[in-house]
Amino acid sequence: MSATEATPNVGTTQGQARSLDLGESGHRFARGWHCLGPVSIFQDGKPHAVEAFGGKLVVWADTKGDVQVLDAYCRHMGGDLTQGEVKGDEVACPFHDWRWAGDGKCTSIPYARRVPLRARTQRYETAINQGLLLIWHDPEGSAADHSLLPPEIEGITDPDVYTDWTWSTLDVPTANCREIVDNVVDMAHFFYIHFAFPTMFRNVFEGTTATQFMESTGRPDKAEQGYGDENLVLKSEASYFGPAYMINWINNEYKGFNTEVVLINCHIPTSETSFTLQFGLKVLKPEGTDEKTTKYIGEKYTEMFAEGFMQDVAIWRNKAPVQNPLLCEEDGPVYQLRRWYDQFYVDVADIAPEMQERFEFEVDTTKANEYWRAEVADNLAKKAAEDEAATSLANKAPA
Amino acid sequence: MVYFVVNDTTREDQRLYIQARLKEVACLDCLAKVKVKKNSDHHTAIQWTMESVEECAEFNKARQEPGGRQIHEACSRLRQSIEKAVAEGEIEIGAIDGY
Repeated sequence: MSATEATPNVGTTQGQARSLDLGESGHRFARGWHCLGPVSIFQDGKPHAVEAFGGKLVVWADTKGDVQVLDAYCRHMGGDLTQGEVKGDEVACPFHDWRWAGDGKCTSIPYARRVPLRARTQRYETAINQGLLLIWHDPEGSAADHSLLPPEIEGITDPDVYTDWTWSTLDVPTANCREIVDNVVDMAHFFYIHFAFPTMFRNVFEGTTATQFMESTGRPDKAEQGYGDENLVLKSEASYFGPAYMINWINNEYKGFNTEVVLINCHIPTSETSFTLQFGLKVLKPEGTDEKTTKYIGEKYTEMFAEGFMQDVAIWRNKAPVQNPLLCEEDGPVYQLRRWYDQFYVDVADIAPEMQERFEFEVDTTKANEYWRAEVADNLAKKAAEDEAATSLANKAPA
Repeated sequence: MVYFVVNDTTREDQRLYIQARLKEVACLDCLAKVKVKKNSDHHTAIQWTMESVEECAEFNKARQEPGGRQIHEACSRLRQSIEKAVAEGEIEIGAIDGY
């Protein structure tokens, strides 16, 4: 949202009231790797459509199974290649059958004497990471930087070691994608939105990665909701590798039973005020557990995280963008995180050292947990009183 | 040009939250120098530089270990150096209006 679209009461200072700076967008999308999902989704011999970077992409697999990504609109007359067909290695336009190869060149026009020399479209370089398809986006048009990809997790694509990727997509139609990145530093929302007590919360930003270390337990007053189960002890290490691709290593302990989960949280900006949020997970197969049980565990965690993300989405759909958040002592380093995030929106030549220099932050969770424990105890007492009243009323009711 | 263009008041907030009250701490074990802020006993903010990360003996050792994750949570020696600086009164604990 641009500053000119701001409602009047937040754009100006009235007396001593603090105003929200809604900011004005720099009108570009981040440089870096963006994840589109498990590569197998795109290997079915059909062209796939992906909304991204203010437009649309066509994604298909060639005869070798290598996945190719181009701008979706044919450079001839603008036909939508995602509505076309895969013919051999190329994608064919549904309008006049122009054939486009993965390198961005038009290789043939079945009705033409020759292909124009300038028949070249926008292509996106790809990489496969953890069995997922990633594409490189850079407004400056640089070659893909494979050194910025996270290392492959040992055994991640081995079906004997991990379950298959689950994969879910959520549209966020009214928010800039920085909202989800801000969550990296947001300790307190885990209590209010995800129903957990974060007992340890740290951040490290360095180079092109931003990490959140967290330990939490569930809220007993919100059992059955979100992460709200007091028996659930979660240890999480989540890193953004670049602007849009996060790997979250999670160790869950539930009544003495340990589960290792790898959660991917990634997004694709579709406009300056919308993005597609995607997440998927794999569960490390515990030894001696049968296929059915591990699949069940994977589905349970998918449900839990889906609920969590939907709670976030509900907030993002309604909130205002804020460039000047007002922070208290229990908040994480929002300003430093955004300084880190800005590196993906400036030209490479303009990346300032402080955007990449290591920064560490430990949130003091002691007071917050003290207050939250009291609030939860109070909620449980109220609920117990209500239950008791309901029971005695039921007992008094005539038969 | 950064991602969001902000007003002057916001730039002052950025300065307060990012730079105010940072105090230099030298590691007692290596040549690393960092800037530190403590809003409370359990809160710590540490701003490194490219040079100080290269000086850090613990990070250098961790980098050379094969197979390990590349993100290092903290340097224990620097933590001790900060604790000592706090004990000696070089670092003031306590926030000013949230920063």
